[in-house]
Amino acid sequence: MNYPEDDQSDYDYGNYTYDNYTYGDDWVPPCSYQNNNSVERVVGPYIHSIICILGLVGNSLVIVTYAFYKRTKSMTDVYLLNVAVADLLFVATLPFIVYNELSAWSMGPVACKLLRGSYSVNLYSGMLLLACISTDRYIAIVQARRSFRLRSLPYSRIICAIVWTVAFLLSIPTFYFYNWYEPSHIGQIHMLEGREQNLTHILDDFLYKGQEENLTSRSPHSVCEFRFTDNNTAWTTKIAVPGIQLSVGFLLPLFIMIACYTAVIVTLLRARNFQRHKAVRVVLAVVVVFIACHLPYNMVLFYDTVTMFQLQSCGASDSVEVAKTVTQTIAYLHCCLNPVLYAFVGVKFRNHFRKIFQDLWCLGKRYIAPRRFSRVTSEVYVSSRRSVDGSSENGSSFTM
Amino acid sequence: MVSIKATAMVVTLTICLLAADTSAVYNECCRRYMKTKIPFALIKGYSVQTLTELCPINAIIFHTWKGKACTNPALKWVMDYVERLRNKAQIVHNRTSKLQN
Repeated sequence: MNYPEDDQSDYDYGNYTYDNYTYGDDWVPPCSYQNNNSVERVVGPYIHSIICILGLVGNSLVIVTYAFYKRTKSMTDVYLLNVAVADLLFVATLPFIVYNELSAWSMGPVACKLLRGSYSVNLYSGMLLLACISTDRYIAIVQARRSFRLRSLPYSRIICAIVWTVAFLLSIPTFYFYNWYEPSHIGQIHMLEGREQNLTHILDDFLYKGQEENLTSRSPHSVCEFRFTDNNTAWTTKIAVPGIQLSVGFLLPLFIMIACYTAVIVTLLRARNFQRHKAVRVVLAVVVVFIACHLPYNMVLFYDTVTMFQLQSCGASDSVEVAKTVTQTIAYLHCCLNPVLYAFVGVKFRNHFRKIFQDLWCLGKRYIAPRRFSRVTSEVYVSSRRSVDGSSENGSSFTM
Repeated sequence: MVSIKATAMVVTLTICLLAADTSAVYNECCRRYMKTKIPFALIKGYSVQTLTELCPINAIIFHTWKGKACTNPALKWVMDYVERLRNKAQIVHNRTSKLQN
């Protein structure tokens, strides 16, 4: 690019008439991502609270079922319980993240690190556990002969421990580089005041905040974003973190799921079982929902990561941000669908689930009933406990 | 029962959190640069956008009478302007400290 050499004319600002100076389209202000802000502010909280409530209810039910009714007997049970825990933790942090995003991270630096970090841990563990479930089903159906040896309970606990460790290790950069700060290009403005009078100029380290009219009303505005000490780390990490999320948090589970479930479907279609079509449909639903939820977000994330350092117009970068916000919400939706897709499709699980409601109904009666009927209701409760549970120590957990 | 109570509490908390008054947040970033030079006379001050924070590119943002302008710190005129602004500040600093001593 060619720029005219610095002539003295613009020193002579006494005679300079910059009122006539028009730049037209070439004036480049910083992008304010207004479309994305309005999408985040209007759509974000409402849809996120629906996701949060659905996710809390669904995943709590799965955990309650495992905790009180169904002992984790198989490898699948262990995985399903862990997925529910990961999803529950995820939706539990979601409202805090949304609130902080909209309130300039008012909860401070500790919340910033914890929320960003746990978001990352739960994302990785959730995705990797879904891949584990697919391999478990592959071993159970396709490699049925070996399944007794490979699908033991201690084995699955070790695998879950490995998954959570890997998820934690992959989240270390997030824990480390996400910081709570006020961006220096917004907070530190080096102003020359009283330009015309040529009087009070200030030093770089002597900052005047709120000199401009639009700055006076501005309160300190913090963000919870990446911050680095040098350019090279910044470059590498800004590419590496979404890169690892794309590869380990999406592509790896996707390929494992496609490979395992294809083999499962082929085996099921060969089998002479009248229930096979239902099983195939369930497997297809699991894969289709996974792709529908995560593919759009990961495509936008890939595009954003590749074009991040390129120069682009505000309109284009705003569109990418809007696409990211919308597709991320779709990806979050997967947390509410997992309990339905994995746990509640099972007949046994639905039976346990029914028992929970029966017990809750009985408990509700007990609590609502007046004191004078307490003896009667406690008898009802005890009898229900006997008939529903089978094992007495489980029922005792409900006496609280 | 405990878990149901806990769930109810968390749900209420969620709704309270999300319904809370939330102020507008503006994260500004320069994503490209001015192609032409700005007259020095327009400039009121500057701020520095770095890759090491949330934005993806380095930039010098000149605060002018016409608003903010994103410029490329790799260009000579941009850094000359920054230098000039700093010098002016330094001169005033020196004068002021002489007066006070």
